[in-house]
Amino acid sequence: MDLYVIGLAVHPPKPRIEDKRLEEVVFDVTRAALDDAGLEQGEVGQVTIAGCDELDGRSISSMLLAMPSGAYLKDETKCTDAGLMAFCLAAMRAEAGFGDPSLVVSWNKNSTAPFDNVMSMRADPFFVRPIGMNSVVADGLFATAQLTQGVTEDEAADWVVHYQTRAARNPRGLSLAISSAAEIAGSPCLATPLRRGHCASLSDGAAAIVLASGRWLASRPNVRPLARVAGLGWRTDQYQLGGRRLADMAAFRGAFRDALARAGRDMIAIDAVELDSQTGFHAAAYARALEGLPADRIAPSGGPFAQNPYFCTGLVHAAEATLQVSAKAGRTQIQGARLAAAHSAHGFAQQGHVTVLLESC
Amino acid sequence: MKDVAVIGTAQTPFKTHYADKNYVELCQDAAVAALAQARLSPDDIDAVVFSMAPTEFMGVNDADRWAVDSVFAAGKPFMRVHTGGATGGSALQAGYAHVASGMYQTVLVVGADRVSETPDAQHVLNLIWDRFYEHDFALNTITMAAMGAQRYMQRYQVTEEQFAKVVVDARRKAARNPYAHLRKLVTVEDVLNSPPVSSPYKLFEICPRSSGAAAMVLSSAEAVKGSGYTNPAWITGASSITHTVFLGDRMGYWASTELADHDGCFLAAQEAYRQARITDPVRQVQVAEVYDPFSSFLFQQLESLGFCGRGEAAAISDDGGFDLDCDIVAANPSGGTLCTNPIGVTGLVRAIDAANQIMGQAGDMQVRGVKNAIATAIGGSEQFFTCTVFSNDHH
Repeated sequence: MDLYVIGLAVHPPKPRIEDKRLEEVVFDVTRAALDDAGLEQGEVGQVTIAGCDELDGRSISSMLLAMPSGAYLKDETKCTDAGLMAFCLAAMRAEAGFGDPSLVVSWNKNSTAPFDNVMSMRADPFFVRPIGMNSVVADGLFATAQLTQGVTEDEAADWVVHYQTRAARNPRGLSLAISSAAEIAGSPCLATPLRRGHCASLSDGAAAIVLASGRWLASRPNVRPLARVAGLGWRTDQYQLGGRRLADMAAFRGAFRDALARAGRDMIAIDAVELDSQTGFHAAAYARALEGLPADRIAPSGGPFAQNPYFCTGLVHAAEATLQVSAKAGRTQIQGARLAAAHSAHGFAQQGHVTVLLESC
Repeated sequence: MKDVAVIGTAQTPFKTHYADKNYVELCQDAAVAALAQARLSPDDIDAVVFSMAPTEFMGVNDADRWAVDSVFAAGKPFMRVHTGGATGGSALQAGYAHVASGMYQTVLVVGADRVSETPDAQHVLNLIWDRFYEHDFALNTITMAAMGAQRYMQRYQVTEEQFAKVVVDARRKAARNPYAHLRKLVTVEDVLNSPPVSSPYKLFEICPRSSGAAAMVLSSAEAVKGSGYTNPAWITGASSITHTVFLGDRMGYWASTELADHDGCFLAAQEAYRQARITDPVRQVQVAEVYDPFSSFLFQQLESLGFCGRGEAAAISDDGGFDLDCDIVAANPSGGTLCTNPIGVTGLVRAIDAANQIMGQAGDMQVRGVKNAIATAIGGSEQFFTCTVFSNDHH
């Protein structure tokens, strides 16, 4: 694709942002991304946002949030899967001529949402909701399925420590404490074999990214792109939580396969990958599915264990991946990183997966 | 940028309640029918875009994921688009972006709504407003639109009788539409004597709460050529405009646009026309399927789309200027949103009815000699506007 990241911003995360309304969070991160790109709102060609009505507490949350996202009198649309999906939709809209440059914005203020209730209401009312399905139960079923594939509880705990150790170095993270394997093993059981210590904590946050085409950049020689969009991929798995669906991770593999094919690259070419690992079991399963990618390339930012504005964690990952390939990641920098992947998951037991590949310019 | 064609469309009959099917089964009905018309199998679909507005109507959050298997999306790229009442128009344009970007060859856009699953849709629609400032004074989509209608009446001296005639015309057209929800003929007196809801609107001037599904198959020019499909509708213009949520910021001295005029529709149409090379809508566009859930919306949009000047649509309507055989434009041959409003797919139904006119498959609603047709959708606080142009040729 002839598309580039020219600016980005990640709102400082907090477990609970108490001093701002959600629209102020969104405005601030959008303004910061435009400033990073050196643009004014009037210069934006199109806006693509991602939000979750149920977590935002409004039936059409973009009514209030489109404007602070820079969409006033702009061509704007919203997807509801995940923040990183908006990145993909924006890229397609840019290529299709909807406007240039493009602004991608997503947010999540989990602290003001009844998160568990929202997740349980995602279950169909006939078969799954009556048995108490929610995101914790779904993650427990995923963990159980991964045990059958050889993942162990110790392995899951090791990956938690891996993520937390990197998160502690991340100046854009929450600076949370690092657990020991014993602390994880002794933490309360949520849904066998999943324990609280295996899980990333939720936080509030937002991210915004500015994209521009090569043609637009040619007309602005003073603008230096941060990264090239090398590939995109997204896939969705079946809704039913059968053993094969949970063990195979077909959608995860498919999203990476599509993105790599579009980039013309192999998995081993990825220098850094930011994974939406909500639990240690997901981290272990994803690492195995990445076909032997060395552990030191996985989750340099600490992923959701650094900050976890659940719905837009993937868009935060796109920002982190961009920082990696532009050598601006600071204390989390992987030296010489030229190709980085951002990943997001959504739905029960990660029904959907999104992958974006970013390359140094 | 790739050319994009519509090669299959489908909608279910719309009615208040489907007792014999659940949400995902309705979705599947539309998907199967659209694929059949396109002469494709599920394996031929590269990606799926799901059209679904507020999920509170069904009581299942993110019901699109529940529908994944039913619309043959398992294992495929899949995303949901949601811009309130404009959702169907936005989902169509997202599907268009999939193909026009060159990333996918053939895409299914599909969705459904069951608005009457909830006891009172307007209670849900009160929740779209700001929790602190707006929830508590009975603001919903009807009272919201009524304020704009009053402003339009005051600005252009339009009467309640002229709005009532819009309803009469819509029902007469819907009587020819086998999928329409409200098909019973009414008179101007019937409309004026129906129970008042929010001035100037009476009950018959407000759309029904509809349940049903719709689907459309989009394909690249290369795929169309390979399939031997001979009569597609080409998407030659696609644009949207988002406005501020605050109605008060769209009127008065300091406002850059005018609430009563649906200026967002005007701005979206200008861009879509530019792409489609339409410079004279009256001469070049034969059909307009506009999003009109209330009797006043038709005039505002036909004026914004350039079929007449500001404040002129009511008089033209009085003279039958928007009938199927008129010289200006055939407005809503399907009966429009006044007769059918499954919110999450209404914009897609508008697009289907417009594309069908190009494809020559509109049945008793068919207008002769259609070369260009327009579909619009509106969402939020009359805030999200989409405009899409369908043509019988591409450039």
